[in-house]
Amino acid sequence: MSANAPTADLFRSERMRRRRIVNRLVEGAATVAALLAVALLVIVVSSVVRQGWSAINVDFFTKTPAIYTGFGPRPASGISSAIIGTLIIIGIALVMALPVGVLTAIYLNELAPRKLASVLTLAFDVLNGIPAIVLGIFVFIFVVVGHGQAAWKASFALAILMVPMIARSTQEVLAVVPASMREASLALGAAKWRTTLSVVLPQAVGGIVTGATLATARAAGETAPLLFTSALYSDSVSYDPRQPIASIPMFIFTSAEQADPVLHQQAWGAAAVLIGIILIASLIARWFADRSVRRLKGER
Amino acid sequence: MSVAQEPAAGPAAIQRRGRFRPGDAILYVVTCAAALTGVVLLGLITHEVLTQAWPAMQKFGLGFLTTQAWGDKGNTLFGAKSFIFGTVVTSFGALLLATPISLAIALFLSELAPRWIRSVVAPLVELLAAIPSVVLGLWGILVLGPFITGTLGPAIHGTLGWVPIFSTKPTVGSNMFAAILILTIMIIPIVSSICRELFVSVPAELKDGALALGATRWEVVRGVVFPYARAGIAAALILGLGRALGEAIAVTQVIGNRVAINKSLFDPGDTLASRIAGQYQGADTALQVASLVYLAVILLVFSLIANLAAQLIVRRVAGRHQV
Amino acid sequence: MKAFVTRRKRPLAVLSVLTVAIATAVAISVGGAQARSSADELKGAGATFPAPLIAAWQQKYEAAKGVKVSYNPIGSGGGISAISNKTVDFGASDAPMTPDQFKSCGGCVELPWALSATAVMYNLPGLPNNLHITGPIIAGIYLGQIKKWNDPKIKAVNKGVNLPSLDVTPVYRSDSSGTSFNFTTYLNTVSRQWKSQIGRGTTVNWPAGVGARGSSGVSGVVSRTQGAVGYADIAYSLKNHLKFFSVQNRAKKFARPGLAGIKAAAQADRKFNPQSNELSIVNPPGSPRFAKAYPICTYTYVILRMQSDKANLLKPFVTWALTSGQQYGPALIFQPIPKYVVIRGKATLKKVHS
Repeated sequence: MSANAPTADLFRSERMRRRRIVNRLVEGAATVAALLAVALLVIVVSSVVRQGWSAINVDFFTKTPAIYTGFGPRPASGISSAIIGTLIIIGIALVMALPVGVLTAIYLNELAPRKLASVLTLAFDVLNGIPAIVLGIFVFIFVVVGHGQAAWKASFALAILMVPMIARSTQEVLAVVPASMREASLALGAAKWRTTLSVVLPQAVGGIVTGATLATARAAGETAPLLFTSALYSDSVSYDPRQPIASIPMFIFTSAEQADPVLHQQAWGAAAVLIGIILIASLIARWFADRSVRRLKGER
Repeated sequence: MSVAQEPAAGPAAIQRRGRFRPGDAILYVVTCAAALTGVVLLGLITHEVLTQAWPAMQKFGLGFLTTQAWGDKGNTLFGAKSFIFGTVVTSFGALLLATPISLAIALFLSELAPRWIRSVVAPLVELLAAIPSVVLGLWGILVLGPFITGTLGPAIHGTLGWVPIFSTKPTVGSNMFAAILILTIMIIPIVSSICRELFVSVPAELKDGALALGATRWEVVRGVVFPYARAGIAAALILGLGRALGEAIAVTQVIGNRVAINKSLFDPGDTLASRIAGQYQGADTALQVASLVYLAVILLVFSLIANLAAQLIVRRVAGRHQV
Repeated sequence: MKAFVTRRKRPLAVLSVLTVAIATAVAISVGGAQARSSADELKGAGATFPAPLIAAWQQKYEAAKGVKVSYNPIGSGGGISAISNKTVDFGASDAPMTPDQFKSCGGCVELPWALSATAVMYNLPGLPNNLHITGPIIAGIYLGQIKKWNDPKIKAVNKGVNLPSLDVTPVYRSDSSGTSFNFTTYLNTVSRQWKSQIGRGTTVNWPAGVGARGSSGVSGVVSRTQGAVGYADIAYSLKNHLKFFSVQNRAKKFARPGLAGIKAAAQADRKFNPQSNELSIVNPPGSPRFAKAYPICTYTYVILRMQSDKANLLKPFVTWALTSGQQYGPALIFQPIPKYVVIRGKATLKKVHS
């Protein structure tokens, strides 16, 4: 450009420079924030791993928790019953929640009139947002008072937590199944139920597994419902679902508040195991999600 | 199949023609029953909780919300005031801290970061959401607590002690500040993942248009992305708030379980969810149990309001952007 | 074509559902196998105070009689509500039940089965164990009036000890606790202000300090916090290597919560409350008989339903606890209960039937 209005040039570059600086600052702040989040994660997980590492040995996985009164030699103890207990509780919860979640999604996506579907979806979304502690109280009032705690009651509480997640995930993947498949099946004379079960549902398996494993990952870490339904502090070992049984979150919760440093270490170790379980479940979920998305996209 | 009965021939009419399939009816009934469990459970939960809380609601009425007491007068007087205060302070405090951080993370992951960084950092942020609250509480008791009393607390109190919320020095690791930090860590992944999806879904032509006009990246965000995603961001924040409101376990591990309304964040306190978690098992009188469930009713109301608000915003936004 | 995909996916879905189903079935059947043995098991819940002794009893009783006893230390309040809700076979509480609680329990009896002391523990690094303290000072701390360790009142009873200028953090039980009941009963007797302002109970409105769940929770906070003071059964103090005070009794002597101190204090009350069999031995009088008495001692009680399906297991267990079980107490600083308490306990036990 010509040399007219050099002052105009100066103004422009001045403001431009300021805007660029602001831009850089914001970009820097955003990067710092992301790094902060990653740093927090690293700090927490590294604390868990570093402290828990010393507690993890063969005894940890094979022995059951023991109460140490402080006198005499400390008995060897571990969290084997807690690990098995968590698996039992989650397993029963999954058996309760999976059918309800999948059937709900089928209804909301395939069969329900639109208005009703949106109302019912809202109900499930609201159910999803109810705090776990309130669910614990509800299950306590509903089935525990007068009858006693039991592992299956803990599973019931966790199932309430899991159903909305499974239903939503299944709904999302059912919605992606192309209408042409349904129409083709119906056109061939198959009944609606046949179409749904044999044509639509198999396509959705990936999404169902994703939802189920994500729900499992979330339920595995929930402590509040367990407080009311399966809170076992003593060292007695039980795997009977009709009795309260040990679980990893309860173990961590009770060990964390004590003064015994050995219990603290075991709590860290149990936390590491719990995070490990959740991590594996999340990775499986993600793998299935990617796979089913790829499959469905490929079919188009 | 008399044609005279048929209304205008549409797809529904075509379906109605044909054999009656009992399988269809069975599927419909079974799946409808499953779908109704959501509503049924909501009704049951509300009913049971209200019934159990009724003795306390009758005795204390709405004055419960303004009474600061727990077990006073020989275990006969209970009130929720200090817990409502604690819940509001910790949840909104955590939201205040988490909002800029989460938005910045969402921006970083949607606009700024190169693809390879995105694929590394995004799963890590999601992993933060996967850490169970009891593990965060454990970390809060054994790591964060000593850090607050040893380093962070004295530093903040030393420099900002004239501000009322930092006016005392933390002597115990269990205090409101620790609870706020833990809740912040819990809210960040929720809000940032929702916001990230929102930012990604902003139509490219809007952003490109702004860029073409010479805007810097930040100006695009400020002028296009944020206004477009405004409602969604609000919904995400409200969902994060709802999470913080309902958190019982991690909070009860680090908050100090005090029935008090203190100015300073370095003093212990208590929230609705935390008090329920701490006291429910051991409540030995019917009135105490009913009062605890009354707390749960209040908590339920709070979280229902937050949840419904977020859901309604999401639905309105989804409807608008369907165009 | 599409049919291929469907056929390939179906085995996967069926397989995963089958695996979950089989795993659960296995778990339930394994659990069911255990269930057969639960007929020989006694379930209890309640106070954290006697938990160390009950833990010893669990081991010894199973070894001696083959009956498994499980105990859930959720606090005295939890024990009372658990036995009232019939979710356990026996409840344990350091606080005697009130007439209202007896009414809601509907046919329950209570009897003392162990005897120990509530220690006042402190975390003051570098300072010796068994520092001196008086009742009014403890009340002052828990009222929030005495805020620093080098307060003149504390210095006055600890001449020659270099008390630091550290903040005092009182720690209390946030859950419903019989130990709190014992502690606040004591504070009622040593501080008029405490009695009029706060009172006693399993749950009170603590004016200062930080709350923790269970005796272990209190020990936990005290062990982590410099300058903290808390109260719990003496066994927790010893188990966690926490220092504890020698508390001044009415005879103006500073007594330790040891077996001698508990034994002396136990002489203070021989009259049983007719309904709850309560014996209140807090802050005994100042006569020479109680020179060694530790002022914050308490009996701890077991609560049973008069009509119970497990009566044929409960009665031998409680009888054993009252008699042979007491020998395991002293190692954990539980003083064996006096003869007249055993007699009364056995008499009350006769009311339990199936």
